[in-house]
Amino acid sequence: MNTAFKENWLHKINPSLKLLTISFLFVFAITIHHFNFMITFTLSVSILFIFCTGHPYKHILLFLLPFLLIFLSTAASMILFGKGETTLYKWGILHITEESLYRGLHLGLRALTFAMMGLLFALTTKPVQLFYSLMQQLKLQPKYAYSFMAAIRLIPIMIEELQTIRDAHKVRGVQTQKGMNSLLKSIKSLPIPLLSQSIRRAFRIAVAMESKRFNSSNERTFYYQVGFSHYDLLFIGYFILSISLAYLFAINFPFFPVSDVRY
Amino acid sequence: MAYITSVNKLRLKFPDEKGLLFKDLTLSFKKGEKVLLLGPSGCGKSTLIQVLSGLIPYSIDIPIKSENIQIPNSWGFVFQDPDSQFCMPFVDEEIAFVLENLQVPREEMPERINELLDMVGLQLEDIHTSIQALSGGMKQRLAIASVLALNPDVIFLDEPTALIDEEGTEQIWNTVKNISRDKTIIIVEHKIEQIIDFVDRVIIFTPDGELLADGNMTYIFSNYKEELKKYGIWYPGAWEDFKRENNQKTVSLRNDNEVHLKNFHGYRKKEVKISLEEALIHSGEWIAVNGQNGAGKSTLLLSLMQLIKTSGDYQINEQSIKKLADLQRKAYLVFQNPEYQFITNSVFEEITYELKGGKEINNEYFHKKANDLLTIFGLHDKQHQHPYHLSLGEKRRLSVATAFIQNPKLLLLDEPTFGQDAQNTFKLLELIESERQKGTIIIMVTHDLNIVQHFATRVWEVKEGRVISDRKKNETKKKVEEKAYEYSI
Amino acid sequence: MFKGLKLTDILVTIVISIGFGILYKIWGPLYYAVKPLGLHLDQLIYGMWFIAATVAFLIIRKPGIALLAEIAASSGEFLMGSEFGLEVLFYGLVQGLFAELVLMAFRYKRFDLLVVSIAGISSCIGSLILDFYKGYVGDLSTWNLILYIGFRFIGSILFTGVLAVAIVKALEATGVTKLVRSSSQKDHEALNQ
Ligand SMILES: Nc1ncnc2c1ncn2[C@@H]1O[C@H](COP(=O)(O)OP(=O)(O)OP(=O)(O)O)[C@@H](O)[C@H]1O
Ligand SMILES: Nc1ncnc2c1ncn2[C@@H]1O[C@H](COP(=O)(O)OP(=O)(O)OP(=O)(O)O)[C@@H](O)[C@H]1O
Ligand SMILES: [Mg+2]
Ligand SMILES: [Mg+2]
Repeated sequence: MNTAFKENWLHKINPSLKLLTISFLFVFAITIHHFNFMITFTLSVSILFIFCTGHPYKHILLFLLPFLLIFLSTAASMILFGKGETTLYKWGILHITEESLYRGLHLGLRALTFAMMGLLFALTTKPVQLFYSLMQQLKLQPKYAYSFMAAIRLIPIMIEELQTIRDAHKVRGVQTQKGMNSLLKSIKSLPIPLLSQSIRRAFRIAVAMESKRFNSSNERTFYYQVGFSHYDLLFIGYFILSISLAYLFAINFPFFPVSDVRY
Repeated sequence: MAYITSVNKLRLKFPDEKGLLFKDLTLSFKKGEKVLLLGPSGCGKSTLIQVLSGLIPYSIDIPIKSENIQIPNSWGFVFQDPDSQFCMPFVDEEIAFVLENLQVPREEMPERINELLDMVGLQLEDIHTSIQALSGGMKQRLAIASVLALNPDVIFLDEPTALIDEEGTEQIWNTVKNISRDKTIIIVEHKIEQIIDFVDRVIIFTPDGELLADGNMTYIFSNYKEELKKYGIWYPGAWEDFKRENNQKTVSLRNDNEVHLKNFHGYRKKEVKISLEEALIHSGEWIAVNGQNGAGKSTLLLSLMQLIKTSGDYQINEQSIKKLADLQRKAYLVFQNPEYQFITNSVFEEITYELKGGKEINNEYFHKKANDLLTIFGLHDKQHQHPYHLSLGEKRRLSVATAFIQNPKLLLLDEPTFGQDAQNTFKLLELIESERQKGTIIIMVTHDLNIVQHFATRVWEVKEGRVISDRKKNETKKKVEEKAYEYSI
Repeated sequence: MFKGLKLTDILVTIVISIGFGILYKIWGPLYYAVKPLGLHLDQLIYGMWFIAATVAFLIIRKPGIALLAEIAASSGEFLMGSEFGLEVLFYGLVQGLFAELVLMAFRYKRFDLLVVSIAGISSCIGSLILDFYKGYVGDLSTWNLILYIGFRFIGSILFTGVLAVAIVKALEATGVTKLVRSSSQKDHEALNQ
């Protein structure tokens, strides 16, 4: 994501720690079955996502738009087809019950928090820092880390390549015939050259890396030393505090008269 | 004196190919030598230096056999494609990657990086610059810097300047000369003018990958001139000989085809990247497009082919051109990177591809023409090979050959002669010349001044996204120094 | 299990997988777009998310590749800012692992449609297990649940099996697979001619 943004404290958190924290929250969110708590939990994540990524609000809003779709579509199938007893509405195979309604909304919120946490991470983490940190803190083998970094560098090159291949095919008349058959042909004519070209490129880069004495031993020095700072404490502190508050609030001042949404 | 790298009775064969590429090749190099490997395109030079460096078979799994191979203890390899040799996104990180491999302490890295960049003359305001923002020449210098970081005894260079402009080429070779003092340098290159006074040993290969001659510059070029000529290998003065034997062709303007451009602009990401005020082009003209890396030459051709958004007046024979479909059977573009253009799985299918779509499918004339082209370009033996498995020069020739099978009125060529030996360069140029005489308009991007002087009838110079000068042949001759801003019509 | 992988194997796997990751990312909105259409039609295209594992395995044919490919593809999708967020990493891990287990059961010796289809179904089962925890799919009415699972199975076979085999066939024709597969004994013997 190459939009302009300000770096702030979320960018300075140790990437491995950030990843682990968010993974933990992911698992934690799955264990939330209490609808009211889910609402307050979502709030505590959204505050961080909306105000702290350093990206302009315009972009944040733009990101939120598809999230709405996620919320709706995730919620919909459970609302419409989920099990339940207290019927609210029934029409043909559609059967909306109170239980399925809450469960659907609960799932919608869950998908929303996953989306926000994921994007929060993606927006505030540089891949190079992430992989250096994974090597240093989580002992990821360098051959994987550098392969990832090389592959990420290749993404824009591959996109440009796709354009060029398309142009070249146009010149050679691959897509000039009309009709279904040629549509299929043109669908086929792009991914295969792109894939084979990417494999060749990846192979050449791997050979170049080996020619620069990259070997599989784990002993190496690092250009970037990724460490920890007090921002890491702040990050973890924020979640501990806000989630505790969210829990207390949800238990004491429930918005809706439901607790567990499972059937 | 001890050898630093050598092979003894080397045999090598590509999987699924019939013959051996090398049969019992024996060769050795002494410490400190500066060696040039010269030979016709496709003879196996690139493959050989990959064996000498141990890339084959340790990194690239190709079966080889030999009595003895000695690989240097420390070596570096500059590859030809500037985009496929870096693994990190930024300049400093790329060099740091090498230093990390050597376990240089972190504190020493920034200083080392600056030192290395200085050594290759890559002055950057900030060493943390994105590699994608560098020009081709700068990328190759970065590649040399990261190779130097290894502090190698031997440096292998495989056509490092194939895609680089005149100025960049000079800079790269100057860089190599400056850093080479006590190093062994092994170079594969077709463009020899710039390195001829630098190397002290030349090794010549025959088309079959056998050793033809091995010795110092003067010895080789005075004793083997006939063979060099026969096999079409570059030697100093090859162009002069060619010019002497082939008269300058006269320029006769005809009116059967006409291209008219006015206020023509080409856009990339909504920005004007190339503009041309006005030009009228007639049949029989051969326009050489000149300019530095990144000036906008390829963009100009893409605009003329209507592959990117354009604005302004563009007419061929008074017919206005607005989109690619208007150019059907009128224009053909040969891309800068040949690999992008391949769409089939064998050389023969590749050349006949355009025929399949059309009515001429079983037309003998075209099949004969296809076979002729294969023979002319020395690809006849390779007609069942996969296009991607050709050598660099062969790939280039194949992609250019596809242009001749149809008869476009406007032929756009993006550096059609890079990576070619002498024979193929001349054949290619003569083929283009005969197209020109038939009435095709040629617009060709090239960095080679010999082509500009001998073949082109008109020169466009592109600078910073503008066609800044448009000179016709006779004028060029009269006032070589004068770079007049002058439109012919 | 990863010991035998060379840098070239890893880099090639990761590069194509990140390519698939971009496809996965584009697949997300598509999936959500067909979702409201009705009765789990979205599940028919779910199988696309398992394809990196089998394509990479069919190309490189080594142990560990399927798992690595699926992890890399989901990381790529994740770093591109996927709508699914961190979820994709967990799903990628589990799907890759399930596919890998099937390939391992066949001792990494078979590279045909049947095996990769089974691997696809296995990935599918992995994803369903996660769905039961994450999406309460067990709480769908029974007929609906059957539709849901059935469609996803069909999709897995179509994409992870049939499409993957077709892609790799086409790639083999371009000769690129020779780069990453080891040379045969026959080739070495041919040197003595
Ligand atoms: N992977 C491959 N499979 C089959 N044949 C190959 C492969 N790579 C190269 N060749 C063939 O081996 C020969 C030597 O190739 P190589 O690239 O070494 O030539 P070269 O001397 O460097 O030519 P150029 O000057 O055009 O770069 C060529 O004829 C080429 O077609
Ligand atoms: N796909 C692209 N999108 C946006 N800008 C581009 C793209 N390709 C090239 N450019 C820019 O357009 C300008 C002209 O590029 P172009 O490729 O036409 O140069 P060139 O003269 O052909 O150089 P070379 O000698 O290296 O081939 C450059 O500044 C380049 O950065
Ligand atoms: Mg070569
Ligand atoms: Mg160009």
